[in-house]
Amino acid sequence: MARTTNWVVLGLTLTFLIGPFIIIIFAGASAGESLAFPPAGLSLKWYAKVFTVESFRQSFMLSMFLAVFGTLAALLIGVPAAYALNRYKLPGDETIRTIVAAPIIVPGIIVGLALLRYLVVPLDFTVTMALFFAHTALVLPYAVRVVSSSLHNLRADMEEAAVLLGCSRLQAFTKVVLPNIRGGVLAAFILGFVTSFNQVPVSLFLSGPGVRTLPIDMLAYMEITYDPSVAALSALLAFMSLAIVFAAERLLGFSRYV
Amino acid sequence: MSDAFVSLSDLTLSYGQTVAVPDLDLDIAEGELIALLGPSGCGKTTTMRAIAGLLTPTSGKIVIDGRDVTRTPANQRGIGLVFQSYALFPHLSAFENVAFGLRLKKLPEREIRAKTEAGLDTVGLAGFEKRKPAELSGGQQQRLALARSLVMEPKVLLLDEPLSNLDARLRLEMRTELQRVQKDTGVTMVFVTHDQSEALALADRIVLMKDGRIEQLGTPDELYARPATVFAADFMGFENIFSVNGMELVSETGRLPLGFEADCPKIAWRPAGVTVGEGPHSGKVVASSFAGDHREYVLETPLGQIKADAPIEIAEVPAGAVVSFDLPQSTSRALAA
Amino acid sequence: MFLNNREGLALALPAAIFSLLLFLVPVAILLSEAFRSDTGWTLSGYTEFFSKPLNQVVFFRTLKLGVLVAGTAAVIGYAAAFCIVNLGPTARGRIFGLVVLPLMISPVARTYAWIVILGRTGIVNDTIVGLGLSDTPIRLLFTETAVFIGLLQLFLPLMIISLVSAMENIPRDVIPAARVLGANWIQVFIRVILPLTKEGLVIGGTLVFTGALTAYITPAILGGSKVLMLETLLYQRVNVSNDFVSASVIAMILIVMSFSANLLLKRIATARS
Repeated sequence: MARTTNWVVLGLTLTFLIGPFIIIIFAGASAGESLAFPPAGLSLKWYAKVFTVESFRQSFMLSMFLAVFGTLAALLIGVPAAYALNRYKLPGDETIRTIVAAPIIVPGIIVGLALLRYLVVPLDFTVTMALFFAHTALVLPYAVRVVSSSLHNLRADMEEAAVLLGCSRLQAFTKVVLPNIRGGVLAAFILGFVTSFNQVPVSLFLSGPGVRTLPIDMLAYMEITYDPSVAALSALLAFMSLAIVFAAERLLGFSRYV
Repeated sequence: MSDAFVSLSDLTLSYGQTVAVPDLDLDIAEGELIALLGPSGCGKTTTMRAIAGLLTPTSGKIVIDGRDVTRTPANQRGIGLVFQSYALFPHLSAFENVAFGLRLKKLPEREIRAKTEAGLDTVGLAGFEKRKPAELSGGQQQRLALARSLVMEPKVLLLDEPLSNLDARLRLEMRTELQRVQKDTGVTMVFVTHDQSEALALADRIVLMKDGRIEQLGTPDELYARPATVFAADFMGFENIFSVNGMELVSETGRLPLGFEADCPKIAWRPAGVTVGEGPHSGKVVASSFAGDHREYVLETPLGQIKADAPIEIAEVPAGAVVSFDLPQSTSRALAA
Repeated sequence: MFLNNREGLALALPAAIFSLLLFLVPVAILLSEAFRSDTGWTLSGYTEFFSKPLNQVVFFRTLKLGVLVAGTAAVIGYAAAFCIVNLGPTARGRIFGLVVLPLMISPVARTYAWIVILGRTGIVNDTIVGLGLSDTPIRLLFTETAVFIGLLQLFLPLMIISLVSAMENIPRDVIPAARVLGANWIQVFIRVILPLTKEGLVIGGTLVFTGALTAYITPAILGGSKVLMLETLLYQRVNVSNDFVSASVIAMILIVMSFSANLLLKRIATARS
């Protein structure tokens, strides 16, 4: 195929994939009152307004909390699990693998509803707690998978060497294994963070007075008004995600792990 | 033996339900260089891992330097192991790799520095302190792994296939290196190998293993000249092995008169022990190839194919020609079944 | 040393128990809800659900959109993946990065853009009215087309990624060899590329189809209550009428559909060889 055809196909595909995102950036930078593209004059007033909306601030904090601590919790139980599944011949390890990977397969909206019905309502869990559990469960499969693949590349005899040089098993893990899978753990954190932060269906039913994740809050805001602030906020969030991913790529070649 | 430095008695080793080594007894003297030799799956690596403490015996006893260490965890046994893959820590410099164990001992920093530098110096890696393992060649990596074990002043140094990952030239270099280290430090060394030439060249004594049992134990001379069993003989290069029936040699394909009396079930000759060009028997040359100081023949005989090495002085017999040969008593080796 | 199973289980079990108790058990209870009645086990939840015309429409629409999106993504995906693999290593990395990039952006943001583009005063309508093709703006939002476009944009990267990594594994000289042997491009595709990339197609197809089935944001924003899909229907059943039996039925349908799509695609892939 000729080079031009090549680039035309790629150009069209990328326009379709990325074009809308560029439109959003400009639609949010409108000087007018309503959502439009091309915008009626350029200004940053909608970008500024985003920061003054109280509910956005609250829900941003909640989403941040869930993304950071949900992912940390997932790593806390996911890293040992990945380690055990890689280094031991466990009875029923396939079952454990399936159970841990299950949250990726089940549609998020069902998870949210199930947790609302059977944890929050009968067991008196707070919505925030249920959200935290749901996000942790959601991120867990990614944590296990990404950490597994970097453990897989690390030979087990290195730990034996450490033990023969005097390490306890725990020391062998912290002194030899952890430093060598650091990149994988960080990649898992970023992937988990982005997944959790952008997650909608799981959080759909799990919201209460004052407790709403940011994407849900944006959906709610859109139903009331069509002003460009949601576009501005969307653009800001996208930039935040991209900044994190680019920083990660620069630091450790993130894409190797995904 | 009461003067044994390392003593394995009634040692049974298993993985789950599978017994890899049943009931092994082995004594190793202090400062000895022992080779555990055998094909893969013979239990040599398993035995080595048990000495290191990486595998808990199902039953039996391991005594090192007068102390029963059967239940002592690997990190308190004071045993060094150079892994086949070297198992260097990729995130640490050469210096820190060697200092790793010393730091765990919480030695003073000055002592750590001195010992580490001396260790790197011993293996010829002075000046490479700051390199990461990935920045070293295969031979250098192995010497680094050796230094890392040696600075711990282990009671026993175990080496897993120490020469297998090296090319021919480095192999020779490393062989000399290991012998020098052993002479200098006097450390008891046990190495595992599947290559009989390595074992013959390096070891004081060779433990030939088969199916988890010791097939034969002896000095390289003994094993080379006097293998006791068919397995040992085969491993030591006695490529022509036949059954004996009275005054006859017997194989699956036929029989041949034996020129002398032999009171053993099996008998064997190395290719070099077969006389070519004279003798009571004759065979057809199937293949002939030049090998420097000798010529290698494959002869078709009533016993099947026989391998024979002839001195280069004897004129070449072309393939297809018939040549006389002899299986003399002087070069034969009587074997148990 | 690594055969101590008690130690291994102690490390693996927290994650497994967490997933089981806080995830699988609640989901399983929810799924069982449609089978339970005051008198015992029943299938009436299912028969009732499928007897309602609206539910049938939504079910088939979801299926149709899932298949259409996955199929279209496969066609565009092959073209794009082929072009990407043909690039030099540097350009390939950059373009691949641009394909992956949208996955990091919030689906809300990505879907929201289509409101700007397809709305009454959006670019498309401005162009149509400006060119005089129509006097009044055409309704583009809240149509199946809008949902289709939104879903395609959302999940196309997954298909391209799967196909690119499958195509990278095609031995380098296979395609020139087929050409030299006289195959035209269509034959090359059907006889060489397709068989060698079918695993990537199965993975990509499952991801896109399942993604489209279970997407909530796109049908909610671009379809609204006019173009309900199973997910939005589920939300409506629960929020508007507290109908948990329907919710349970829909949940089961979604899971079964996702699984059977994966099985079916795998079956097709293995049958071909």
